[in-house]
Amino acid sequence: MKIKTSINNLNNYKIYLRVEEEVNKFFKRKGYLKADLPVLSPALIPESYLEIFETKFRYFNRKEKLYLTPSPELFLKRLLITGIGNCYYLGKAFRNSEPNSSWHLPEFTMLEFYKVGINYLEMADEVLELLRFISVRLSFRAKSRNLKKNDNRISFERWEKYSITQAFLKFAGITEEELFNQKLFIKKAKSKGYKVDSASYEDLFSQILAQEIEPRLGKSGYPSLLYDYPYELSSLAKLNKNGKIAERCEFYIDGLEVGGFCTELNDYKEQEKRFFQESEKRKKNNLINHTIDKGFIKTLKYGLPDCTGAGIGFDRLVMIFANVDSIDKLKLINIL
Amino acid sequence: MKTNAGNLKRGDFVFYQDTIWQVQKADFYSPGKGAALMKTRIKNILSAKNIEYNYKSNEQVDVLDVSSVEMQYLYKDSENIFLMDERTYNQFSLSLVVVGKTADFLKEGEKMFVYLYNDKPLTIRPPMSVSLKIIEAADAIKGDTVTGAKKPAIVETGVTVLVPLFIKVGEMITVNPETGEYTGRV
Repeated sequence: MKIKTSINNLNNYKIYLRVEEEVNKFFKRKGYLKADLPVLSPALIPESYLEIFETKFRYFNRKEKLYLTPSPELFLKRLLITGIGNCYYLGKAFRNSEPNSSWHLPEFTMLEFYKVGINYLEMADEVLELLRFISVRLSFRAKSRNLKKNDNRISFERWEKYSITQAFLKFAGITEEELFNQKLFIKKAKSKGYKVDSASYEDLFSQILAQEIEPRLGKSGYPSLLYDYPYELSSLAKLNKNGKIAERCEFYIDGLEVGGFCTELNDYKEQEKRFFQESEKRKKNNLINHTIDKGFIKTLKYGLPDCTGAGIGFDRLVMIFANVDSIDKLKLINIL
Repeated sequence: MKTNAGNLKRGDFVFYQDTIWQVQKADFYSPGKGAALMKTRIKNILSAKNIEYNYKSNEQVDVLDVSSVEMQYLYKDSENIFLMDERTYNQFSLSLVVVGKTADFLKEGEKMFVYLYNDKPLTIRPPMSVSLKIIEAADAIKGDTVTGAKKPAIVETGVTVLVPLFIKVGEMITVNPETGEYTGRV
């Protein structure tokens, strides 16, 4: 990797600063507390598909493993348990094994926020309000590449909404029965010509979503919302009454995945079980065997309030408002 | 040769649904929750059709072991272009569909690399730029001072290129053969 200075990106970077300013303003007005959080942690929440950065603290003979946090969730939820109320983090997060591409940097900026007393669908309204606020403050400058008319500005007045079941049926011809039955789903994927050898349900889910559904989103000029995911794809989301569906949403702007949110799981026994499952999957996926944040489970016993948490890839959000097609175009210094 | 789809790069040739495709674009993508993907745009080397395909990044993909050989462009007819390997004097043909727009800008004797797989040509690697002489161009219209204004001109291969107003007949210009755009004066 090399250090690259790109002063030509100055105008885009200024838009980055503008969006940052407006986001802080929005949350201040809504009464959220901004949390400054560490990025180095001695333990992490196990997530089966995220590779992490590992380092060591050294002092004479003392050596202790530390990890760069892939998300501030473990800190923010601890704060929520203390009763701090609505809060957010806007800062760096780190994900290993994600090479630079149009949409990824291993070191990126994450916006994560929690609102107490609401569920995932109510959070959809809050997110839309945030997007609309930024759009208005930046004079409606987000343009769609999908709209083929003179006025191709993206409108944040409403969502284009599909449940995952509706989207798979409409765009991929996969029925609800097939979607929620791993064996049937894999069989269906095979019949569609996908390689299924040694692929998991989650692998194929992501592949079909990206291949057949995502390219069809955002054509209306509104941001798109997908909701109600199979429970396999949501380690920290609350399940609905029948136990099959996770109360989780992902949203896209102009076809680009920008963020997601879910009603947070606050049953510590269920959480402990999923920690174990995710940790096992990590081993299977050959990921770094990091120290698991057991203190998180202990803290959960005190009771996480009913709340919904949202995570937004802040750089991607700015890409939309700066009308650039690659994340590195927002930065004055890139490590490429 | 097998590789992880996550290692695919522009220019690689892959088998997809039993036919050969060339990678035009490869970009890593990982959803917020779930498995990482390699988003690619691949071009069928027979029909020149482009499709978008998302591989699982850990999926094993057959990348063709291709050699590239410098060849001389001889001529074209209504369907093919003809090339010669200067070391062996073997002649090869490639369909115009595969070569695309580039064929319009090739001069006899021009050298370029051709990709071979099992001694059969797949496609050419278009030169970054070709130098061509202007054989016909209108004079600049006086008073037309719009910055970046262009006029049509005919180059020696017989095709029309949009050039800046100051370019005159007899001058040599450079063109990007893949897009057909004027890139400069020689």
